Amino acid sequence: MTLSRVARVAVVVALLALTVTLALAFRRDPHDIKTGTIGKPAPAFTLQRLDGSGEVKLADLAGKVVVVNFFASWCLPCTQENPALVRVYERYRVSDVVMLGVNLQESRENGLAYVQRMGMGWATLADDDGRVVLSYGVFGPPETFFIGRDGIIEGRHIGPIDEETLVNGIEKLRGQASSR
Amino acid sequence: MNGRVLIAIALLALAAVIAFAARPHELTADERIDQITAELRCPVCQGLSVKDSSSDTARQMRDLVAQRVHEGKTNAEIQAEFRAAYGDWILLSPPVTSWSGLIWLVPVAVLGAGLIFATGRLRASAAPNADEPSPSQIAALRERVAREEAAEG
Amino acid sequence: MSAGDLGAAALRAALFLSLWGTGAAIYAAWRRDVRALASARIAAGVGFGLVVIAALAMMFALATHDFSIVYVAENNARETPLFYSIIGLWAALEGSILLWTAILAGATAFIAFRGTRSIPRLATTALAVMFAMLTFFLLLVTTPAADPFARLAIAPDNGNGPNALLQNHPLMALHPPLLYLGYVLTSVPFAYAIASLILGEGGDRWLVATRRFALISWGLLGVGIVAGAWWSYAVLGWGGYWAWDPVENAAIMPWLTSTAYLHSVMVEEKRSLLRTWNLALVIATFALTILGTFLTRSGVVNSVHAFSLSAIGPLLLGYLVAILVLSVGLLLWRSARLRDAGPIGAPLSREAIFLFQNVLFMAATLTVLLGTLYPLVAEAISGAQLSIGGPYFDRVEIPLALALLFLMGVGPQLPWHGASRATLERQFTAPIVAAAAGAIAALVTGTTALAAVLTYALGAFVVATVIQEFARGVRARRTLHGEGALAAFANLLRRNGRRYGGYVVHVGIVLVALAVATSQARTVDMENTLAPGESLEVSGYTVRLDAVRPVSEPQRDSVVADLIVTGNGASTRLHPALVQYPNSVQAVGSPGIGAGLRDDVYTILAAYDQRTFSWATIRTRVIPGVSWLWLGGAVVGIGAVIAALPAPRRRAVRITVAEVAASAK
Repeated sequence: MTLSRVARVAVVVALLALTVTLALAFRRDPHDIKTGTIGKPAPAFTLQRLDGSGEVKLADLAGKVVVVNFFASWCLPCTQENPALVRVYERYRVSDVVMLGVNLQESRENGLAYVQRMGMGWATLADDDGRVVLSYGVFGPPETFFIGRDGIIEGRHIGPIDEETLVNGIEKLRGQASSR
Repeated sequence: MNGRVLIAIALLALAAVIAFAARPHELTADERIDQITAELRCPVCQGLSVKDSSSDTARQMRDLVAQRVHEGKTNAEIQAEFRAAYGDWILLSPPVTSWSGLIWLVPVAVLGAGLIFATGRLRASAAPNADEPSPSQIAALRERVAREEAAEG
Repeated sequence: MSAGDLGAAALRAALFLSLWGTGAAIYAAWRRDVRALASARIAAGVGFGLVVIAALAMMFALATHDFSIVYVAENNARETPLFYSIIGLWAALEGSILLWTAILAGATAFIAFRGTRSIPRLATTALAVMFAMLTFFLLLVTTPAADPFARLAIAPDNGNGPNALLQNHPLMALHPPLLYLGYVLTSVPFAYAIASLILGEGGDRWLVATRRFALISWGLLGVGIVAGAWWSYAVLGWGGYWAWDPVENAAIMPWLTSTAYLHSVMVEEKRSLLRTWNLALVIATFALTILGTFLTRSGVVNSVHAFSLSAIGPLLLGYLVAILVLSVGLLLWRSARLRDAGPIGAPLSREAIFLFQNVLFMAATLTVLLGTLYPLVAEAISGAQLSIGGPYFDRVEIPLALALLFLMGVGPQLPWHGASRATLERQFTAPIVAAAAGAIAALVTGTTALAAVLTYALGAFVVATVIQEFARGVRARRTLHGEGALAAFANLLRRNGRRYGGYVVHVGIVLVALAVATSQARTVDMENTLAPGESLEVSGYTVRLDAVRPVSEPQRDSVVADLIVTGNGASTRLHPALVQYPNSVQAVGSPGIGAGLRDDVYTILAAYDQRTFSWATIRTRVIPGVSWLWLGGAVVGIGAVIAALPAPRRRAVRITVAEVAASAK
C-alpha cells in the first residue's frame, strides 16, 4: 500500500494542527474557570443572617454597590484573605457600599463562631441548601462578586482576594454610577 | 434439528430480547434525577459527575435537581439553569446545538473515512476467489501438519 | 558523599555514556564496525547500571528522609511509612521521569546485548535510536527542569509529605511501574521500525524481531490500566473505576493502537499486506505514550494525576514534535518501498475482519484523543470553556466497543482469504445460539439496559467461539496424538501459545466487558444519615453504623465509621473514613469496600457530626460484578504471558492454506 497524495497531505496537516494546539495550550491556566454570570443581573436572594437577627434581601440593596464574598470556616484561603476584607469593610463603612458574606457548606454554629473569631462586622448570611452558591456559579470559597448599582454582576474574583483588587473593584463601580 | 432453523430461532430470540430492552419507557423521577446529574460536572471535583461525587456541592446540586424534577421542569430547563450559572463548562457532554457540538462529528467522520478506505481495498479484489481450498484440501493440510508434528514428537 | 550526590553524579556519567553510545552505535551500523558495536554495548550496560544506581539512591534518600533534596522535601515527611517513602520514587514528576529513564536504559541494554546478535545491522541501528531517546531523557533529568536531585540551600526540618491520594493504598506500588514499563517498552518496536525505515528495508524483519516486545508492552499496558482502575476504585472513593480522566485517556490510547497493531501485524505476516499501516501503528503507539506524558505531566489539562505546571512541558513537546517529524518524514519518504504484495481478500475473510477491526480501533483512539484535546482547542479559538467527560466518551466508545466485541467473535472463526457458506454455518451456529442465551440471561438477572443486554449477548457469542476453538483443538490432538483432554489442552497453550493465548485474552476482555456492563447497569446507590446503632437496608444487605470515632496516626488524622454489613450470606465489618493529611486542605475520603464475586458493598463516609460524633452520613453503593473486572484483567495478563512464552523448539513448518491448495492441484 502506498499513501495517496490526499492521505499524505491529511497526515501532515493533522500533525501540524496537533502541534499548534499543544503549543497554544501552554497559555492556558486550567484553574482559571470563567462562569456565565458576569455581565448578567445578579441572581436574587433572600438569606437569613448567621446570628439569627433577621434576613437580607438583595433586591432591597438596589442602587448600592454590593460586594458578595463567599466563605467558609473550613477554607484555608478564606482566613488568608480575611484581613483585607476587614480593612476594606472599615474603609467603606460609611458609604453606599454594602459588603455581604455568604457562608456555605457548614453548620450555622461553625460559621458564626468563625465570623466572631475573625472579627467580620458585615452581614454574614447562611446559604444552608447551597442555592445561592449554585445560582452564582461558585466553584468553591473564597469567591468575591462585585455587583453594580443597577444589579448587574460586573466582576468576579476566584481565590483569596487582596485589598487592592477589592478597592479597585469597588471604585470602578462607584465611579460608573456617578458618571451616569 | 437443522442448523439453519436453529440459527433462525436463535436470531429471532435475540431480536426479541433486544427489542424488549430498547423499548421506549417512561422514566421514573429517580431515573430522571440520575440521568440529569450524570450529565452535570461537579464543580469541586476532577472531572466527576454530580451523580458520582460525594462532595457537599454535588449533594446540593442533586437536591436542586430533585426539587426541579418534582416541580415538573423539563431536563432542558434544568440544564439551562445550571448553564446560566456555570456556562457550558458544567455539561460533561457538549450540547449538539452549539458549535462545540462539532466534536460529535469526529467519530462519524473517522468511521466513515475508514470504512470507505477499507471497502475500497476489498472491492479492489472483488475478483472471484478461486483459491479457496476445498474441504478435502483442508483435510490434507491437517494431516500434513499432524504428520510433521508427530515426527518431532 | 550523600546518596543525592551519588545519584546526580551517576546520571551525569550515564548521560555521557549515552551520548557516546549513540555515536558508537551509529558508526557501528554505518561501517558495520564490530569494535564500535562492542563499545556501544559496554556504554549501554554501564549506563543502565548507573541509572539504576541513581534510582536506588533516590529511594534511599526518600527512605532516610534526606530533606536537603527538593524532591524528598516536597514528597516525603518524617512520618511517612517506609513503604510509601520508597514508592515515593514515582509519586511526582521528577521521580517518575527517573523511573522512566531507568526502564528505557534497561531496554537499551537488552537490545545492545541480545538484539544485536541475531540481525546485527537492523538491531544496531535500532540501538542507536534507543540511545538517542535515552539521551533525551538523561538530558531531562540532568537539567533543572526535572532534576530529581536538585538541592535546597537549607534543608527543612520536615518535608511536605506525599500527595494524600498517593499514600492511601498499597496499589500505588503496582500500577504506575506497570504502566511505565508498558509505555517505555513500546519504544523498542518503535526503534526497530525507525531503523527499518532508515535502512530502507521493505520487509518485515523489524516486526518479527520485536513481536514479543510489542506483545509484552501491550500486556503490561493492559494490566497496568486495569490495576490503575482498581486503584482509583479503591482510593478515589466514588465507587467508579474509570472516569475518562486525561491520564486514563493517555493510557488507553496507546493500548488501543497497540491492540490494533497486534492484530493487523498478522495480516502482514500471513499476507505481506498493510506494511505502511503497521509501521504507522507502531509509530502512533509510541508517539501517544509521549503525548500522554506531555498532556498529564505538563499541567495543561486538569487531572487527578496532573503534576503542577512545570518547565518540562515545552521540552516534552519539543521531543514529541521531533519524533513525529522524523518518523512521519521517514514513512512518507520510504512509502514507495513498502508496496503491498496484493489486495486484501473477500469481505468475509479473516484479513478483512482485521481491517474493519483496525478502522474501529482508529475511531476509538481518535475520539479519545480529540475529546481530550477539544477543550484546549475550543478555548484557544473562542475562549469558551467546555467539558468533554464521561457522558460524551460513553456515548461514542460503548457502541464502538460493542462492534469490536462482535468482530472479536467473528474474526477467529473466518479462514484467511474467504469463507464459504458451509464454513459460516459450521462456525457460527453454536455462537449465535450462545448469543441468544446470553441476552436471555441478561434479562433473567435483571440487567435490562440495552448496552448491557448487547454486551451479554456478544460476550456469550465470543466465549462460545473460544470454547469451540479449544474443543476442536483438543479433539484434534486427542485423535492425532492420543493425549488426554487435559494434556491436549495444555499442549495447545504451550505449542501454539500465540493463537490460544490470544483466545485466553479474548475471554479476559469479555470478563472485563461483562463486569463493566453489569456494574454500570445495576449499581444501587443510597445515602443515609445514621446515629450509632441505626442501620439501613440496601439490595438485601443490612448496614449498621456501630460507631464514629477519630483515629490519630503519626502521618495523618482520620475519622472512621465502623459499619457492620450482613445479608446475602455475607457478614463483614467495613471502615470508611475521612482522612486528613497535614499537607492537604481537604480531607480525603477512604472508602470501606466489602468485595465479593456477586457484588461489592462500597461505603463512603460523606459527613459526620464534628463535635459529638453522634451521627454520620453514609453513602452506600452496591456494585454488582465489579470484581470480575480485576479478574478479567488478570486473565488478559495470563493470556498475554501464554502468547509471549516461546514455544518448545520445533522444525519450522510454514505452510499456508493457499500453498496446500496450490500443491494439491
